[in-house]
Amino acid sequence: MTKITVNGRELEVDASKPLIAACDTAGIDVPRYCYHPGLEPVGSCRICQVEVSEGGRPPRVMAACRTQVSEGMVVNTEAAVAHDARRECLEFLLKNHPLDCPICDKAGECTLQDYSFQEQQAAGRSTEPRATLEKRVDLGEVIMLDQERCILCTRCVRFQEEVTKKPELTNAGLASNSYITTFAGRPLTGNYQGNLADVCPVGALTLKPFRFEARVWNLEKSSSTCAECSRGCSISVEVLRRGDVKRIRPVFNPDVNQWWMCDTGRFSFPKVNDAERLTGGLIASGDDLMGVTTGEAIRHAATVLTGTSKSALFASPFLTVEEAAEVKILGDSMGADLLFISPAANDLKDDLLHTGDPCPNRKGLEQAGFRAISAADAATMITGLDAAVLVGERILKLFAGHNLGTSKLVTFDTSACLASGVEACIAIPFYVEKAGTWINVDGNVGLLTIARPAPASVAPLERTLGELTTAMARSGAGV
Amino acid sequence: MSGFETYLTSRMTGPDSHTLASYKKHGGYVALERALKEMQPAEVTESVKASGLRGRGGAGFPTGLKWTFMPDPAKDPRSRYLAINADESEPGTCKDRVIMDEDPHGLLEGILLACYAMKCEASYIYVRGEYRHQYDRTVAALEEARAAGLVGKNILGSGFDCEIYMHKGAGAYICGEETGMMESLEGKRGHPRPKPPFPAGFGLWGQPTTVNNVETIFNVPFIVDKGPEWYRSMGVESSPGNFLVGISGNVNKPGVYEAPLGTNAKVLLEADHFAGGMTEGRKLKAWFTGGSSTGMMPGETVDVGMDHDSVKAAGTMLGTAAMIMLDDTQCVVRAMQIIARFYDHETCGQCSQCREGCQWLHQIFKRIEEGQGRDGDIDLLTSIGNGMAPGKTICALADAAAIPAHLMVKHFRADLEEHIRDGGCKINKTGKCAAGHSHKAPATEKAEAQA
Amino acid sequence: MALPANLKAEFTELITHYPESRAGLIPALHRCQEDLGGWITPDIMEDLAEFFGIEPVEVYGVASFYPMFRLTPRGTNVIKVCHNISCDLRGADKVLERAKELTGAEVHGTSADGKFTLEVVECQGCCTTAPMIDLNDTFHENVTLEQLESLIGGCK
Repeated sequence: MTKITVNGRELEVDASKPLIAACDTAGIDVPRYCYHPGLEPVGSCRICQVEVSEGGRPPRVMAACRTQVSEGMVVNTEAAVAHDARRECLEFLLKNHPLDCPICDKAGECTLQDYSFQEQQAAGRSTEPRATLEKRVDLGEVIMLDQERCILCTRCVRFQEEVTKKPELTNAGLASNSYITTFAGRPLTGNYQGNLADVCPVGALTLKPFRFEARVWNLEKSSSTCAECSRGCSISVEVLRRGDVKRIRPVFNPDVNQWWMCDTGRFSFPKVNDAERLTGGLIASGDDLMGVTTGEAIRHAATVLTGTSKSALFASPFLTVEEAAEVKILGDSMGADLLFISPAANDLKDDLLHTGDPCPNRKGLEQAGFRAISAADAATMITGLDAAVLVGERILKLFAGHNLGTSKLVTFDTSACLASGVEACIAIPFYVEKAGTWINVDGNVGLLTIARPAPASVAPLERTLGELTTAMARSGAGV
Repeated sequence: MSGFETYLTSRMTGPDSHTLASYKKHGGYVALERALKEMQPAEVTESVKASGLRGRGGAGFPTGLKWTFMPDPAKDPRSRYLAINADESEPGTCKDRVIMDEDPHGLLEGILLACYAMKCEASYIYVRGEYRHQYDRTVAALEEARAAGLVGKNILGSGFDCEIYMHKGAGAYICGEETGMMESLEGKRGHPRPKPPFPAGFGLWGQPTTVNNVETIFNVPFIVDKGPEWYRSMGVESSPGNFLVGISGNVNKPGVYEAPLGTNAKVLLEADHFAGGMTEGRKLKAWFTGGSSTGMMPGETVDVGMDHDSVKAAGTMLGTAAMIMLDDTQCVVRAMQIIARFYDHETCGQCSQCREGCQWLHQIFKRIEEGQGRDGDIDLLTSIGNGMAPGKTICALADAAAIPAHLMVKHFRADLEEHIRDGGCKINKTGKCAAGHSHKAPATEKAEAQA
Repeated sequence: MALPANLKAEFTELITHYPESRAGLIPALHRCQEDLGGWITPDIMEDLAEFFGIEPVEVYGVASFYPMFRLTPRGTNVIKVCHNISCDLRGADKVLERAKELTGAEVHGTSADGKFTLEVVECQGCCTTAPMIDLNDTFHENVTLEQLESLIGGCK
């Protein structure tokens, strides 16, 4: 460790990292555009300049991202020259930057805005006409490029060079005619395009699925874990006015996903914005399903289950560890094996994050004593049973295309079961509406927090399961 | 004729001066042979150090000292390179091309000696893409040298291996910056690298590399042959030796001349054996000492010794010793606009201040020259220049753009003010000074507009 | 489209000069521009990308950086006039005006009959032999208006 002084504070810092990283670790904020801790520093934006004195030499301004710390270094990030340097950079950057804030999705989380206000350098003195470039370059399904807003920090180019290792963007031209572009107007490819909008400090690269959808200051953000594979990337679930999830973004997790996530996970939020989701209970009534309260559905389910001799219990791999514990209690009371539906690996596995296994809590369920079974085998089992309980988010989707016969079914899912033998459906929260724990492929714990309250009539799964267990006990459980 | 010893141009005497035969007749490759047979590499470096040779690419850094920055190969066994900067793109500068045209073997021998001194296994000569003839001449010389066993393996039976490769640039001035040049040589955009690390530690492909200018290396065989004391007998104490000074613009005999460092610029301008004075006996209004990056100085300052320290004391830099002379029919604002346009075109665009600042300076000078200058523009020029440099960017192009702007404000403020006041250029007849432009009183214009 | 065999052979030898083959890219771009129609087409960029083992967009980023590489088609003859300071002091503006008149091309444009592309360039290193033009990759220094007329007149 190396001893340096920053703003009068003595710090012990990791000499293998640049000065700006040392400041970050100490909670000292140094402005940056081109610097990103996940990318090699290039020192081109110049806004991270701070006052540095080393070896007793007179202090001078240096770019913190390209400054190696040395023993005894004295740094002042709040020196007048540091602020001057920031204001100068800001005035230069705002010279050609279009005044798009009112229509730019990045507003509210844009560091060009933030630093301009911080340094009180919003009004520039340039009256020269601004450069005109392409403002709506459609780069495929994920990214929209606005070349005029670009401040040429090259984070996007470097992200592809260093992280996804497939360059599709370059800075082209030179001088004030520089711009970011793809080759021959081709769209971007790959499953990590969304990260480009994250790394872009301004609104040059924005997400098409989020375009004009919400103002970021109206989004309520909660930390959670991605559901789309067993990597369980740490995410921020961002909800507009307690309604739809408008955006999912990665959260830095050094043990799991660093700063990134794949597009499969990032754009999975429409799945939890289901307008048709179940909000109460359904019970069989003739050939139809009748809407009832959750309590009534549970009581009906208990009646159905206690009246059968051969029944089984199947869980979805979306159950949290806490929900699984409650399922275990129910299963024990039913004398049923603990089984969870294990989907086949998909072809999304890559060298970066996606594991190809669409189960967010396979390891958690295995550790809780559940055994994996394919949907096909489970369906075969079910057709030979009197009744089966299917528990957990997306379990009905996992059985899609499989014939469940006429066996009596009790389902706990976010949608209704339409199989011919369905007896009762009980609504459950989406994963963004519950608190709990998933265990990822490497054994890391992924926490879920409530990003959006479930509708009042949708109780946590632990509670509805507990009520079913109790109801079954009352009407003579087991058998 | 001139009363001083010449050596740089001493072999450039006939149509075959670029050939190996001619070079050898003038005693070429003798220094190399002696060095390989009788000197240790460190002795060659010592010789260059003792000579006081300073880089001729514009920065004037002591060459021998730069060579010592290469790591000890015993401790750092990585591949080592010498990169020759033949990008010569500083406006006003056309001296390295003379060497490659008329005495390329002198460059090659210098390269071999430098590689021997620094234990470099190969040298790349990065030639600006537009210098086709100079490139071809050097290629031909290289082929002759290779055939004569002077380049390649076991040179002159000494056991010293050295390869020399030619490489072309493609028209970007920033590739004359040593790290921009290395990026370009590696097949990338010519974006200069932040320093540290310096080329000696992290150069071509991350290996130890020294970058030297053509003329600098061209001096080396002379130093090794005749010794550092001889070298120091020419020029001045802090800038020994002779140099190739280019004199262009409104002079009678524009050309590249050899002269001792320290020769007075007035002599270089007026003497018959140099530029022969201003055309048509006109007055010197303004001049650049060493290429566009050194900015314009008033004509009166031409009485200055052309060496690094004297020019610095006068308020600018020796640079590439490319004197550009403007007579009193020229408009300095127009000239400055041209310089500002150059940097606007040539900034690589990495650093925020340089990318935007170069464009901004150009836009302001252009407006002033064309008659749309405003009050406040002059202070803005100074402020922009201060925001760009010194020491605020990855490389010194920002400084190269800012310094001329500062010097304009310092020395030619009156011209700028006049353009702004007049709404145009009296000399070039722009804006309100255009022929036939009628100067109506504002009130009348308004009345007419309303009519 | 694929690189012609002779260029491929040339580039295969060229990259042996360097420890990393990508260093051959800019010399290769020059050769392609010289031999394959005078400008760098997207096809050429893809071929070079394949040869050097990089992505086409990387070739584009490099080619678009360097003023000598043309990324749009050109006329049969290309005239470049330096308009930097030493040439300007010796009348480059008049050379440029006359070149526009004689060729019928605008600056950075091609004449309607496709015969001439006219470009302005920054300092070409002909400062002491100013003014200059570069006609079809040959420097003509100390060029007079008469010589200009003769040179342009002699173009096919």
